[in-house]
Amino acid sequence: MMKRDGTSYLYFLPLALFIALIYLYPFASAVSLSLHDVNYLEPGRHRFVGLGNFLRLLGDPLFVPATEHSVVFTVGSVVFEYLVGLSSALVLNSPFVGLKNVSKALVLLPWAVPIAINSLIWQFMLSPDFGFIDQFLSLIGFRSLSEATWLTNLSLVMPTVIAVNVWRSFPFYTIVLTAGLATIPRELYEAAEVDGAARFSRFWHVTLPGIRRVSAVIVTFHVIWTFTNFDVIYLLTDGGPLHASEVLPTVLYHQAFVQFDMGYASSIGVFLLGVLSLTAGPLYSRLNR
Amino acid sequence: MMRKIAVAVTLGLALLALYGCGKQAAAPVKLTVWDVFDPTTPGGGKAYAEKYAEYQKLNPGIVLEHDIMTYDQLKQKAIVAGQAQQGPDVLHMLGEWVPDFVKMDILADLSDQMKSWADFDKFPPSTWNVASVGGKIYGVPITASTRVLLYRSDLFAKYGIQVPETWTDMRAAAKQLTDDLHRDGNTDDYGMGWCSATSAIRGPQEFAVLLWSTGADFVKQDGGKWVPAFTADQATSVYQLYADMMFVDHSLPPSSIGWEWQQLDPAFQTGEVAMEQNGAWMSGRAQQAPNGKDWKTAPFPYDKVPATYLEVKVDGVSKFSTHQAQAVDLLKWLFSRDNMVFLAGTDNLPSRIDSEQSSAWVPDPVWKGTFLHTVKDGHAMPQIPFGPALKFTMDDLQEVFYKRMTPAQAGQDFYNKVSSYLDSSVNNQ
Repeated sequence: MMKRDGTSYLYFLPLALFIALIYLYPFASAVSLSLHDVNYLEPGRHRFVGLGNFLRLLGDPLFVPATEHSVVFTVGSVVFEYLVGLSSALVLNSPFVGLKNVSKALVLLPWAVPIAINSLIWQFMLSPDFGFIDQFLSLIGFRSLSEATWLTNLSLVMPTVIAVNVWRSFPFYTIVLTAGLATIPRELYEAAEVDGAARFSRFWHVTLPGIRRVSAVIVTFHVIWTFTNFDVIYLLTDGGPLHASEVLPTVLYHQAFVQFDMGYASSIGVFLLGVLSLTAGPLYSRLNR
Repeated sequence: MMRKIAVAVTLGLALLALYGCGKQAAAPVKLTVWDVFDPTTPGGGKAYAEKYAEYQKLNPGIVLEHDIMTYDQLKQKAIVAGQAQQGPDVLHMLGEWVPDFVKMDILADLSDQMKSWADFDKFPPSTWNVASVGGKIYGVPITASTRVLLYRSDLFAKYGIQVPETWTDMRAAAKQLTDDLHRDGNTDDYGMGWCSATSAIRGPQEFAVLLWSTGADFVKQDGGKWVPAFTADQATSVYQLYADMMFVDHSLPPSSIGWEWQQLDPAFQTGEVAMEQNGAWMSGRAQQAPNGKDWKTAPFPYDKVPATYLEVKVDGVSKFSTHQAQAVDLLKWLFSRDNMVFLAGTDNLPSRIDSEQSSAWVPDPVWKGTFLHTVKDGHAMPQIPFGPALKFTMDDLQEVFYKRMTPAQAGQDFYNKVSSYLDSSVNNQ
């Protein structure tokens, strides 16, 4: 048996230093900033304010709507991404679908396109009057729907950005769930069939439990990624109109790069981290039970 | 003894040889340039790439590293790098960024180098003002372009409309140009278009032209304090104009709420709107558009006094540049008369007053004449950190367009927000 001595830990040192440099230092720096009043417009202003920035966040008129929108955006996106991803994975897993690799590659396309390009394409497609969506709706006889201003209507904007986010993200679910489906032993389906289980019953009692663990991982990750997602909403609406699609990451961005209020912006980042630390872990445990 | 002397001489010669090699192989000076001029896109990008290559050929000891990004990225990168006490040698900026960057202490004071430059007097004082804060100069004003009324002359001729001079004329013209071409009860063409997105860059500039033309300004100094230089009534009249065109005249596309230039300019190009406020860079689009020959320019209609936005772009030097002298030499060469005219191309107008004497100057009444004619009415954005306050213009415009505020409420709200911003972020320093 190999003798355990202190030198073996030395081999971990470069990796530990690397992680400290790229992860722990920025993290500690952000936490420190969140406890200070720092505005880049005033280089001399750097004073400790304790929890002042967090108290200011709680009193910010945008805090409640932006938090609500963040929750709606996250829940709406993850639920529909999972449903669309699972449906497409089941279709791809079906023996009746040929050219599986080509089909998988096609499904992956929305996910493979860079987010910025994806969002800009959707912005043009959703443009009122000359955008593809409105033109198409008009062509198939939905003239009243074709006059919808998807990204500037206060009621439509959030469902629209969720839909774009779902379209962009569902292929990742499809691929991961397809891999998960492939690990379910065929014997389980055969045994269920012998026992007289109907198609839905086989899905409910064999398929879903079979992909539970992989689902728990992917849903947890996507809750984290979506709650902190900035690019889709920023590129499509920048949180507008009238803050109707404002989420916490866009508030953070505006505070940091429009107001240059880095201390306050960091407190929003730390708040996001706190929320996710308190929710993502329990969520994973619950889903993976 | 002889042996020691021989060793010493040999060592000495070797050191001399190494020193000589070191001198010969002195590394060239690398100048980093951050700007937006992409040589793969139409416009000034190719011209810049050509001039950068020419400069390196003329100065073999200089290597230029050209980093191209969008204006948004450029601003963020400059701010973040500045906080880390880093930055490029040459930094391209919008004029309104200069006060912010000066306050962040990331720009080099170039006052001495600029005032001793033989070409200093070739730039109008108004352009140096944009590049200056507190009497110190922080860069070269490389372009000076105004905003004008861009209109479809073919549609004006079709409806027998004269080019509008005042807001009243503009409203009347826009109303006449709004038409249901297919006679199906749906309007197809609209008279006018504005930017109104929350994050619009051009929207606040359009708003500024309207506010200035009421005879107001954004800010002024009063007893050592910065205060609004407009009244709530003047701001109200601007919001009233937008509201009247949208809800009374119906001469703005209802779907235009939330437009930025990416939606507005194509709408003008496709004929959905017949008028807009725009800049000289549209000449490039006019050349590509099938109806581009019908695009004409005129001074922008005014309320009380003619006014326009004098957009000056500035190239400065980072305070953290280790080659400030070489960076200034590059700027002086790039913005010598003929080079500046060549670089301005079709994107913007050169800021030098001797531009027309350059052999590279090509007269153009539509894309240069109107713009030069309106320089005298040009206003710059406030030379204090004002970027965050400009966002209020569009916030309140959206309140009006979504009917959450009346124009009077929006005007008062805008006044209150600007007052509050000046007190909390400018006057307390």
